[in-house]
Amino acid sequence: MLAGCHVLDLTTERGLLCGQILGDLGADVIKVEPPGGSPVRALGPFFKDEPGPERSVCWWAYNRNKRAITLNLETAEGREILHRLAAKADFLIESENPGDLPQRGLGYEDLRARNPGLVYVSITPFGQDGPKASYADSDLIIMAAGGTLILYGDEDRPPIRMSVPQAYLHASADAAAAALIAFYERLSSGHGQQVDVAAQESIALAAQSTPLAAPIHGGETSRMAGGAKMGGIRVPLVWLASDGQVTCVFLFGPAIGVFTRRLVDYMYAHGACDRAMHETDWIAYGDMLATGKVSMEEYERVKSVVAAFFSGRTKAELFDLARANNLLIAPVATIGDVLENPQFIAREYWQQLDHPELAMPLRYPGPFARFGASPITFRRRPPRVGEHNREILMGELGLGDREFAELARKGII
Amino acid sequence: MPELPLKDVKILDFMWVLAGPGVTRMLADYGATVVRIESTERIDPTRTVGPFQDHNTSPEYSALWGNNNAGKYGITLDLSRPKAREVVFDLVRWADAVGEAFSPKAMRNWGFDYESLRKIKPDIIMLSTCLMGQTGPLSRFAGFGNLAAALCGFYNLVGWSDRSPSGPFSAYTDYIGPRFGAVALMAALIHRKRTGHGQYIDLAQAESALHFLAVPLLDTVANGREYRPVANYDPDHAPHGVYPAAGDDRWVAIACRTEDQWRALCLAIKRPELAADTRFKTLALRQANRAELDKIISEWTVRFDPHQTEGTLQAAGIPAYTVQTSDDMWRDPQLHHRGHFVQVPHAAMEKTYVENSRFQLSRTPARVDRAAPTLGEHNDYVLANILGYDEDRITDLVADGALG
Repeated sequence: MLAGCHVLDLTTERGLLCGQILGDLGADVIKVEPPGGSPVRALGPFFKDEPGPERSVCWWAYNRNKRAITLNLETAEGREILHRLAAKADFLIESENPGDLPQRGLGYEDLRARNPGLVYVSITPFGQDGPKASYADSDLIIMAAGGTLILYGDEDRPPIRMSVPQAYLHASADAAAAALIAFYERLSSGHGQQVDVAAQESIALAAQSTPLAAPIHGGETSRMAGGAKMGGIRVPLVWLASDGQVTCVFLFGPAIGVFTRRLVDYMYAHGACDRAMHETDWIAYGDMLATGKVSMEEYERVKSVVAAFFSGRTKAELFDLARANNLLIAPVATIGDVLENPQFIAREYWQQLDHPELAMPLRYPGPFARFGASPITFRRRPPRVGEHNREILMGELGLGDREFAELARKGII
Repeated sequence: MPELPLKDVKILDFMWVLAGPGVTRMLADYGATVVRIESTERIDPTRTVGPFQDHNTSPEYSALWGNNNAGKYGITLDLSRPKAREVVFDLVRWADAVGEAFSPKAMRNWGFDYESLRKIKPDIIMLSTCLMGQTGPLSRFAGFGNLAAALCGFYNLVGWSDRSPSGPFSAYTDYIGPRFGAVALMAALIHRKRTGHGQYIDLAQAESALHFLAVPLLDTVANGREYRPVANYDPDHAPHGVYPAAGDDRWVAIACRTEDQWRALCLAIKRPELAADTRFKTLALRQANRAELDKIISEWTVRFDPHQTEGTLQAAGIPAYTVQTSDDMWRDPQLHHRGHFVQVPHAAMEKTYVENSRFQLSRTPARVDRAAPTLGEHNDYVLANILGYDEDRITDLVADGALG
C-alpha cells in the first residue's frame, strides 16, 4: 500500500516499531545507524545469551522489512548525506530528545527546505514542548506519568509495570497512524508536516479513560491484585482454576450482565450455586450494589461461589465451557502457550524468516492485519550493521567508488 | 484555519465496545465524518462502564463511552427491521469505509458482509476487527480485551514472583488494537486514493497485540526462555522501582540507567557515600542487592510529596515521575501545556471532558470540539442532511420502529 514510499528511520528503541509498520505496508525503509550499529543492538536478550550487535533479539523484534546503512551524524559529511537522503524521502522518523536534531541542523525546519513534502515524525517521552519536555525518562517513568502504573499491581504493595517494556510500542504504533494521516493529506495538498507524538499521552489510552475521572468528578480507580477497584466495587479479572489461572469478566448492567447470567445459569444447571443466586437480576445487580440494596458481603459471597466453581475445573475445561456457552472466560497463557495456540497456527500467523548467519530460521509474529487487496509480506529479515551501505549510498545516492572509500576511511559510514 | 486532513473521508461505523470505536475516534479528530450506528436494545457496553460524570451511572454519563466516541454522529437503528437495513445500504453508498467490531457471523446475518456491500459500492473499504480474527477455530470466541490479553500472554507478565500474576489493568489489548486499526484503515484509504480500489481488512486484535510481545516471543523461539512476571525488576536499570511518598497510597517511580544517574541519585538523596559502597558499585550489584537499595531509597522518598521528589530528581537528570492518579494528571503542567484534557459541549450533560488526540500534526492539527452522541442524537441530521431523506420518509421510519 505504501509501495514506492521512502522512509528514513533514525529511531532508537523508542520508535523502531513505527518504521517497521510502514515497512510491513510496503514502504522502503532505511534504518540509519551510527557506525558500529544502533545502541539497541547492545540490548538483550541475545541469541544463545551471547551478546553482540548481530545477536540482539531486541533488535530483531522491530527491524524486519528494513534496509540499513551506517552514518555518523556527528560529522558534517554524514549530515550532508542525510540531507540528500531526506530530499528524496516521504517520511523521516526520529526519537531523539526535543531539540537534539535541530541543534545538529537536522530538524524539521532544516529538512523541509529541500523537501517540502517530507512527513517528519518525532517520538518523544513528553512531546516537543512544555515544562517537562526535557525530563529524563524510561518505560516505567512513562507508565507512571500516563496514569497506567497506579492501576497495576497488588493493593498491599507498590504499583508494578508489565515485565516487558510497553510504553514506546504504544507511542510508535500511534506514530505510524499519525504519519499516515499526514501522508493522506499530502496526497491532496502536496505539503508535509511534523508529527509530534508524546509517549505520555499515548500510554494514557491504556488507562481506559480513568484519567478523565478528575475533571468529570467520577472517582478514582485503583489497583487490586487480578482486577481493579472501580467506583468502590472490587472487580476481579483473574480467577484460580485447578491448574493455573483464567480471566473472567463477572460484571453487571444491560450489556455485560447478560454474560454473567449465562455463567450463573450454567453453574445452577450443574449444581454449583443455589436458587437465590440463580434468580438474581444480574442486569440490575450493579445498581443494587451501588445503592446498598445488595451488601458488599453478599457480593463477596457470590464471588466466592464463582471462585469455588472455577477452582474445581482446569483452564482447558473452563475455556471449552466459555466457547460452548458464549461466556467471558479465557486461560492465562504463558509465552510458550501462545506459540502453540491452535488459532494462530490455523491462520498461519507465524512467519519464518531465514537468518543465514544463524544455525536456525526464526519464527516472527505475523501480519498485524490481513489486507484483502494488498497483503503484508515479510520480505526482509532484520538487517546487519551497514548491510546496505553500498547498495544505497552508491547504487541509489550515486556516490562514486572513491567517495565511498573516503567516507569509510573517515569513519563516517 | 487550515482544512482538516481527513475532511473528505466518510466512515460508517458499526464498531462497538473499545477497540473499534477507538479507531474511528482517531480519524474523527482529524476531520473524518463518522456515522456511528447504535442499538437502543443492545446498548454499547462502554455506556455501562465508568468513570461516570458526577457518579451518574446512566448511559449518557459514561466518560469511557464519551472518550471513545467524541466527534461522531450517532444514529439508532433496529437492524432486525428491513427499513433500517435500507438506511444502512444508503449509508454504505455514501461511505468510503465501513468499520465493524462484531463477532464474525453478525454482519453476514444482516447481509452486511463485504461481498454484499461491494456489490452496491465496488470501491468500499471494510475493516472487521474482532478478538481472534475472522477464520480459525477460535474465530467465534468473542469478548473483551482482557480475554485476548490473557490468551496472548500479557496477564502472565504482570505480578510479583512470590504470588500468582495479577495481570494488566482491565482490557489491555483493547488499547493496542485501535492503534493498528487506525494504521490499517489509513493504509487502505491511501491505497484507495492512489489506485481507486477498496478492500477487506481482517484485523485480529490478538494478532496485532502480539507485536507488543515480539521480544519475549522471539526469545522463547530462539533461546527456549520461559517468561515469568518480575514486578519492577529491569535488566538495564538499577535502581528501578516505585517508592513510597508522603501521603496515603502515594508513590514515585525512579529509574537509573547510567552510572551518572546513579551517582546523581546518591547526591540527591543526601547519601553520597553510597556511590562508593561495594554493595552498589555496578548495575549487576545494584540488581543483586536491590532489596537493601530499595529500602534506603524508600527511607528518603517517604518523607516527601511525590511531586517534590520528581522535581528534585529530574533537576539532577534522574528519570523520576509521580505515579499519577487521575487528579495528578489533571494538574500535570505538561499535560496542561499539551492540551490533553478538552472541554466540549454535551447534549445531556451540558459540558464534559474528553482526552485530546495523542499526537499533534504541526500544519493540520486535530479539532476536538464535539462530544460523543447521546442515543439517537443525530437521527434527523443523518437521515435528512447526510442521506437527503424527506420528512415523509423519516416519519415513516419512525412509525416503522426502524430507529430503535
